[in-house]
Amino acid sequence: MQDTQKKQVLLVGNPNVGKSTVFNALSNKKQKTGNYAGVTVASHSGDYTYKNEEVEIIDLPGSYSLYPSSEDEAIFSKYLIDHQKDYAGVIYILEALSLKRGLLLFQQIQDLGVPMILVVNQIDQAERRGIDIDVQKFSEALGIKIIQTNAKEHIGIEEIKEAVLNNEFLKTEKVSFETPAEHKDFIQKLASHKGFDNEYKAWMSLSLGTDSGRIESITGAMNEPDSKSLVPKRLQVQETVRRYQNVDKILANVITKKPQFKELLTEKLDRILVHKFWGYVVFLLILLIIFQSVFFLAAYPMDGIDWLFGEMAAFSAEHLPQGPINSLISNGIIPGVGGIVIFAPQIGILLYFLYLLEDSGYMARVVFLMDRLLRPFGLNGKSIVPLVSGTACAIPAVISTRNIENLKERLLTILVTPFMTCSARLPVYSIIIGLIISDKTFFGIQYKALVLMGMYLLGFAVALLSAAILKGFIKNKGKTYLVMDLPTYKKPLFWYDFKMVLGKVWDFITGAGKIIFIVSIIIWFLSYFGPKQQPDQFVATNVELDHSYLAKMGKGIEPIIEPLGYDWKMGVGILTSFVAREVFVGTMSTLYSLDDDAPEVKVIDKMRHDVKPNGEKVFNFATGVSVLLFYAFAMQCVSTLAVVYRETKSWKWTGLQVAMMTGLAYFVSMLAYQILK
Amino acid sequence: MALKEKDLHTLSGFPKNKMGKIVGYDNDHLKMPNKIIEMGLLPETSFRILYQAPFNGPMYVEFGDEKSRIALREEEGDYIIVEELN
Repeated sequence: MQDTQKKQVLLVGNPNVGKSTVFNALSNKKQKTGNYAGVTVASHSGDYTYKNEEVEIIDLPGSYSLYPSSEDEAIFSKYLIDHQKDYAGVIYILEALSLKRGLLLFQQIQDLGVPMILVVNQIDQAERRGIDIDVQKFSEALGIKIIQTNAKEHIGIEEIKEAVLNNEFLKTEKVSFETPAEHKDFIQKLASHKGFDNEYKAWMSLSLGTDSGRIESITGAMNEPDSKSLVPKRLQVQETVRRYQNVDKILANVITKKPQFKELLTEKLDRILVHKFWGYVVFLLILLIIFQSVFFLAAYPMDGIDWLFGEMAAFSAEHLPQGPINSLISNGIIPGVGGIVIFAPQIGILLYFLYLLEDSGYMARVVFLMDRLLRPFGLNGKSIVPLVSGTACAIPAVISTRNIENLKERLLTILVTPFMTCSARLPVYSIIIGLIISDKTFFGIQYKALVLMGMYLLGFAVALLSAAILKGFIKNKGKTYLVMDLPTYKKPLFWYDFKMVLGKVWDFITGAGKIIFIVSIIIWFLSYFGPKQQPDQFVATNVELDHSYLAKMGKGIEPIIEPLGYDWKMGVGILTSFVAREVFVGTMSTLYSLDDDAPEVKVIDKMRHDVKPNGEKVFNFATGVSVLLFYAFAMQCVSTLAVVYRETKSWKWTGLQVAMMTGLAYFVSMLAYQILK
Repeated sequence: MALKEKDLHTLSGFPKNKMGKIVGYDNDHLKMPNKIIEMGLLPETSFRILYQAPFNGPMYVEFGDEKSRIALREEEGDYIIVEELN
């Protein structure tokens, strides 16, 4: 239910104009800002209270026009048009460096009769380029209140709040788009027939088209011969061209150009960053730096966390009364939760780098560089953004495909993105790599880091390969193209991103922590109790792990996992990780803590020395590689599945994805184990 | 991939780092993505192709008074008819 007390305000504008920055400056709730078209993938809302008035701000995806060409633009147009009664007005953000483009959408919305306030962001940038904007004249020409801001410096934010409080949203009576003469009669008839209160609305009901693109369905029984010749797309083009001509006239009176023309930082940077050769070198270097940091910068806090949970387990083992509760807490919950918290630093570092890259505007350059290389695989340059953010988490990555216009390319991207190495795999990889790879270095780079990097590359390669295979099975819907704004580089919000990362990491700890908390309790119960050993017992308590219910269950699935080289404990770990991959580590921590009376021995050392009944190490090279490959390919995340279903609205593709990924995982792991053992 | 004869009168065939002007669109322009026009690549707009990604990848085009930057593929550039400026 909508809170009727709150005043609802929409934030609207082109992508990359600083809309999200304004949102963050206004609202209390934190949302990710990104300098790449498509970061604001769905509408977000936030609240603030100003002089006792409660305001809800809704940040809609950026768009260039009311005529959508992608899913996120469709979300935008639909909300703006369908919810006109719900919001008090629109705050329209215009970037001073691209007034022209921004005014196109502005005037479309104005012509719909929506009350607006205009915010011109980053006027200082325009001045540097020798463009002088006469704000007074501008405001008169558009018939609107204009507020100048520099959202990153928090300048002008108070003024926006004040204007919202005083309801300074203005409507224009005069429609700026004149209906072309050849359609005038017809549009006027349509307007009166359907009861539109202005001609533009009647025009738009035609130019927006319908799903089938047929205009007759709208004009219905009007019996107008003219309507047969109307093609929505032609009307849209006509409108856009006319509006730009109109905008040119307005701007001619508002802008004075001075001869001085400073080169922007963007122009200097792009000489290298989009260079045919150096552009790719820089991109690879950036990736290398990120992965190197994930493994090494994170090592210090990870040692600290490990020590802390070790101490906690030892402390509770010593001080709690002996018995089942002691065992549950010291051997079950603490190691289980600790096993996952330890990976928070790695996930945080990875996310922080990704946020900085997005903020800076660099991602659009990566799209530019990668488009040609991704096309043979049936993907679009824009697919690189979901693929790269898939290294953090597949869920936002799948959602971020919404700005890919072509439906086939979008579906392919959704299907292959979960192959990318997400942060939930990182704990599993780290622990297995730690077990099977030596500490030696190669030209100063640790083998472990190289193997980890190799796992990331493997995920990427398999994503591309499966796209290339799948593209033959998906029908093409519509034309593929790339027409993309290259935004100016912006200084990333270092401190703000840092806070965002802390929030995300906290979500990870509490989210995964909760699951692992429950899973470790269940595992503890199943391992503490076992089938009765004497006839008069109901169940056996405090049994040897090998005689527990858990072992019984694990051994039950052994025939399935045995060809992959896993023992029953790993089987249990894999089963529990179908909730979420990182649960594997929590499960292993719990299992190995249960097995031993010495909580001060690190779990990883216990794993290292564990042997199978035949004397073979449980985690030898062959099983380790097999586990790595299984986690690289298997679709093991319920939340991702849910998002894939929501975005594709198809059980067929979601089911295919699960079967394809998990089948591949099983097959490849088995192959690897059988060859290497 | 067969080498395509480049048409100097379209954006894709236009030399790099030279100032040009958009004069119109190909006859086939109803198939052209609307986004080209929406982004402001309109007749009379001046432009310069600054970079192109390898293997005939996307073009990096600076255009208009505001020196906006846009990336577009050669396929899209084929729709745009241009001429040399000055």
